[in-house]
Amino acid sequence: MQFIETRSRLRPPCPVVDVHVHPLANFGSVPIKSPEQDSRLLLEAADRAGITYLCPFALGAPPHIDPTPEQFREANDWALAMREFDPERLLPFCYVSAAHPEKSVKEIDRCIGEHRMSGIKLWVAVRASDRRLDPIMGKAIEYNVPVLQHAWLKTTGNMVNESSPADVADLGCRHPKAKIIMAHLNGCGLRGIEDVKSVPNVHVDVGGGDPESHIADIAVDRLGVERVVYGSDAPIRHFSIVLGKVMGGRLTEKQQRMILYENALRLLPEWSAKSLRQSSDSMSPRRTR
Amino acid sequence: MNNLCVDINAFAGHWPSHPVDGDVMEVVASLSSVGVDRICLSPLDAVWCRNPHHYNRWLLEVTRPLLEVLPTPVIDPTVTTWREELDAVASDSRVKMIKLHPNYSPYALTAASDCLDAAGEKGIAVLIQTRMEDPRRQHPLQQVPDLPLNEILDVAEKHPDVPIIAGGPAWPTISVEKERLLELPNVFVDLSQCDGMNTVLRFCEMGLVDKLLFGSHTPLFIPLSAVARVVIDLDAAAATKILGGNAARVLGLEGGKDF
Repeated sequence: MQFIETRSRLRPPCPVVDVHVHPLANFGSVPIKSPEQDSRLLLEAADRAGITYLCPFALGAPPHIDPTPEQFREANDWALAMREFDPERLLPFCYVSAAHPEKSVKEIDRCIGEHRMSGIKLWVAVRASDRRLDPIMGKAIEYNVPVLQHAWLKTTGNMVNESSPADVADLGCRHPKAKIIMAHLNGCGLRGIEDVKSVPNVHVDVGGGDPESHIADIAVDRLGVERVVYGSDAPIRHFSIVLGKVMGGRLTEKQQRMILYENALRLLPEWSAKSLRQSSDSMSPRRTR
Repeated sequence: MNNLCVDINAFAGHWPSHPVDGDVMEVVASLSSVGVDRICLSPLDAVWCRNPHHYNRWLLEVTRPLLEVLPTPVIDPTVTTWREELDAVASDSRVKMIKLHPNYSPYALTAASDCLDAAGEKGIAVLIQTRMEDPRRQHPLQQVPDLPLNEILDVAEKHPDVPIIAGGPAWPTISVEKERLLELPNVFVDLSQCDGMNTVLRFCEMGLVDKLLFGSHTPLFIPLSAVARVVIDLDAAAATKILGGNAARVLGLEGGKDF
């Protein structure tokens, strides 16, 4: 094996937007002392893998599965501070909880209205089929930002308020104008893909779970390539192992470009897409720090 | 420096709950396309078969023309005729390693003691598979818990002359067992189920670089992802060891077994 040749083969064919990243302070295996250190280490690993833009969402350290408004506000402050390290490449999402709909709406106004975060993250405090999500979705539509909704279909059983793909499909049907990203293609699996097939505003990210053969190929076949986006779930998962799901199957280079970059460009708000478009204009596969 | 790339843990065949490209030629082609030179290939159908030996003859026959394949038969020491089966497969000079699936048969690893001794006498390495699928993603009627890595270390301690490879342990367990892995010279770890940012890099920083073996888990997993796991974060010296140098040493591919 020629080491350099192999490494260059792993370079993505275009700039890459990763819509699903966590701070190391939340899920990393090394102690993190500051948002600046968090950003630097994430970007160093992203650089090695050829990932250009990261959408981190902070969930608290340790992560809060059912956060109070104070806790999700504090988590979002961490993500905003992370962005200061490299505002062009770090496009954070705002973490809120439908257990606190009014406070969540206020937090979205703060984080997206004032601070121009790039999307909304919903985790496991409330299932996506719960009507308490509706005010949050209304705000997402108002700001035209994507909502990344955690989802899994676990043989071992989901958590009580953990969304299944069917819950996400319900959310998408209730809010057809919302841009929804269902997290964890592998976690949702072959059945989860079918659950959202008829809901065109639900996209899937390719992260979460092992690099199972052809899972991304199947998602493209069943949903259409425009509904599949690259999201790694780093640092829980490795940027490049997840890239392999896109680059190591049957997808054409054009399809790979859509998943790795162009689809995210369409989903992210105008203020975030500006720097992404500059990257596209230059056709640079990656920026080097 | 040995630049051989050896996949210590690949399969050919069918899997009941997920579509895979398990045809032997397809598996070989997919691994060759990412630079793999030698493939330790075992029968995937054997994992769920009540007598896994049923597929060994097929494996040896179908791979005979394929010089890049090191056939890796599955032995089940709870099948009465296991010793006869081991003798038969070991008579094929291409067999450098056998594979055990204790949690699928199922049996306790203590039941494999005589089998490990017999493999050691024949100079054959033993890969003990810990996991085939993430338990969260298994079929509801086919739930198989992981084989704990510490149980493999326990038997390895009792069989110091047998090279033992832990096949596909979940990556957090490797960190937990770091000290024992370093203490046991006959134990190695297949990385095919490792994930997470900088995980393999951290294993190397822990001093485990000579213990780590490249494995792909093809055709269940994507070969390119397996290569990326090793190549992206490491320097050439460490990557070369993990990709093939260590396996060549363990399997005696360069002559002599100096593990």
